[in-house]
Amino acid sequence: MDIYIGIDVGSVSTNVVAMDQNDHIIFKEYTRTNGQPLESVKKGLKLLEEDLKRIFYTVKGVGTTGSGRQLAGILVGADIVKNEITAHATATVNFHPTVNTILEIGGQDSKIIIIQDKMVVDFAMNTVCAAGTGSFLDHQSERLGVPIQDFGGLALTAKKDVRIAGRCTVFAESDMIAKQQYGFSKAEIIKGLCDALVRNYINNLGRGKALKAPYVFQGGVAANKGIKAAFERELGCEIIIPKYYNVMGAIGAAILAKEYIEVSGEETKFRGFGAAELAFKPRSFECEDCANCCEVIKVELNGKTVAIWGDKCGKWANSVTG
Amino acid sequence: MKVSFPYMGCVTGYKKVFETLGHEVVMPQKPTQKTIDLGVKYSPEFICFPFKVIMGTYIEAVQAGANVIVASGGNGPCRAGLYGEIHQKILKSMGHDVKFIVFDSMFRDFGLFYDNLKKIKNKIPIIKVLKNLWLSYQIICRMDEIEKEIKVLRAYEQKRGDFNRVWLEIQRMYDGCWTQKDIDKVTEQARKMLQEVPLKKVEEEEKIRIGIVGEIYVIMESSTNMDIEQTLNSMGIEVESVQYISDWVKHNIQPNFIGGSKSHQVIHKAKRFVKMNLGGHDMENIGWMVDFKERGFDAVVHLMPFGCLPELITQSAIPTISQELDLPILSLSLDEQNGTANNRTRIEAFVDLVRNKKRGGSVQKKEVKEPEYTDKVPEELAG
Ligand code: SF4
Ligand code: SF4
Repeated sequence: MDIYIGIDVGSVSTNVVAMDQNDHIIFKEYTRTNGQPLESVKKGLKLLEEDLKRIFYTVKGVGTTGSGRQLAGILVGADIVKNEITAHATATVNFHPTVNTILEIGGQDSKIIIIQDKMVVDFAMNTVCAAGTGSFLDHQSERLGVPIQDFGGLALTAKKDVRIAGRCTVFAESDMIAKQQYGFSKAEIIKGLCDALVRNYINNLGRGKALKAPYVFQGGVAANKGIKAAFERELGCEIIIPKYYNVMGAIGAAILAKEYIEVSGEETKFRGFGAAELAFKPRSFECEDCANCCEVIKVELNGKTVAIWGDKCGKWANSVTG
Repeated sequence: MKVSFPYMGCVTGYKKVFETLGHEVVMPQKPTQKTIDLGVKYSPEFICFPFKVIMGTYIEAVQAGANVIVASGGNGPCRAGLYGEIHQKILKSMGHDVKFIVFDSMFRDFGLFYDNLKKIKNKIPIIKVLKNLWLSYQIICRMDEIEKEIKVLRAYEQKRGDFNRVWLEIQRMYDGCWTQKDIDKVTEQARKMLQEVPLKKVEEEEKIRIGIVGEIYVIMESSTNMDIEQTLNSMGIEVESVQYISDWVKHNIQPNFIGGSKSHQVIHKAKRFVKMNLGGHDMENIGWMVDFKERGFDAVVHLMPFGCLPELITQSAIPTISQELDLPILSLSLDEQNGTANNRTRIEAFVDLVRNKKRGGSVQKKEVKEPEYTDKVPEELAG
């Protein structure tokens, strides 16, 4: 079987998927990055290798995405290295070709992507404000003593509405405490929080954009039923949650790798599963050769320099061969 | 008198101005992370990002011995008009007594302009001063033209860094120009050097052109905009940015009679989207977007300092403009706390979007309506 591997290295989670030539997902792994992107990629690859022992396969292509895409790409020998927006959109369009709006909420960031005729026509990304992301919910679930898995379900049982100021995490928190004192139930507070997050998301990311159904909601937070319901209330229509909602970026990377290999007819640059064992050392230094003072990133693999970037003049990057 | 000035655009040209007037020049350094840190440390927290970077540049210049700073004033209600005074105050509070000479538009207040000119002219007869200014202006224009060309060609260089190397050499060559003849000779030689750089062959329909608009300082100073032009060039995209100093000079010095500078014409084009200018270059920038579209550009990147009022206005008009013109526009907000990684992701995704659009044809075919021109620019727009 020919397989394509997709890796999405984000600040919160690192996801690895394997896909066959018919775009069927045969493996997926969602792990916490825990501040160690390279280690988590290696771990994901090991698990994938174990899993693949059950079949005969050849790895035909590899793609990486996410904030750690560049390093991860060098580590594994990726055929394509793509930004998260294109990767997410590619996966969604593949499973839901009629999609018009992609709502994506991950642990540390959120995005909105507008699609027309399977093409990205507009997008926005939020990375400064935590109030629209998964970590906001994690934080509040801890405060309320409700495990995050039960969070969404509980929100659905709320009887009354309570409006919680959701502009920012700090305000939401103090407002939440106040509302608790007024005697609102936990379920109602949680529902209020979900509404606040969604309102915040739409106001921040959806501003000036023509939002149209069908909507697809993905990213780690899509597991939260409360948020889904809040989106449906806010947008006034049903929202699709894709089957692989939490690894869509990785799937997109795999699809893009497949497209690239098919079009170019190239052999994959995949270093093999042995990559997990390689001595891989990225480091950065400040070049002092001119006033630009570039922060140059240099990557060594088994003692050999394999990549350099970050230099404005290109003199370092050009010194690497092959 | 040891003169320095903000690092902005064609510094070689400014240097020439003061040198031909017989002043010693303390060349401002291109802002680095250190400059920005320094500027941020000594600036009020909520002031505009360009202010902070320029602050850092001044501090470095003063430490290098400068005692006079020549800057340009802004116009309208935007904070740029106050930069000079606040910079001076801050330097003073740090113990540096520095003289500031701020140039405003020559036609707004010719008396003041002339006074300022007298301050820097160093007892040289006015006719000679004007001649020297003209020479420097010529250098700035020629260099602007060449730089403009480089931003197109660099997209296709075979070896990364070739054009930057050539450009450094060309800047050095212009620095040694003292007569019109020198300038002509250097220009000719520079053109030859550009032609000799090996280029990749790219089909015409695969070429992508992006126009850059926004607040003047962040457009012109690559250290504040994550080197956007270079970044796009390295992705194989041709770039053109507005607000070259030569344009700015034309805009402020050339009187606004019929067919004034390009900036004046461009303001007309903005009228279908906004009615009046609100302080900075907002109206002009909207006009440039229309202009880029009319000239067949594939997309526009809009750069604004975080919290910049005039550019917030431009930004809020972007969804409408983008839709009506069928033109992808990416707006990036920049400041000292910016994570480059996120903006890099935005840029990459935007480039994918633009490429797909170009390959797959227009998403929403819409005729660009001819804007209606009025033949006179109202007073408040003439800025
Ligand atoms: S890498 Fe090149 S541009 Fe950057 S500081 Fe060193 S010499 Fe200058
Ligand atoms: S144009 Fe923007 S950044 Fe510049 S002074 Fe005005 S408000 Fe500040």
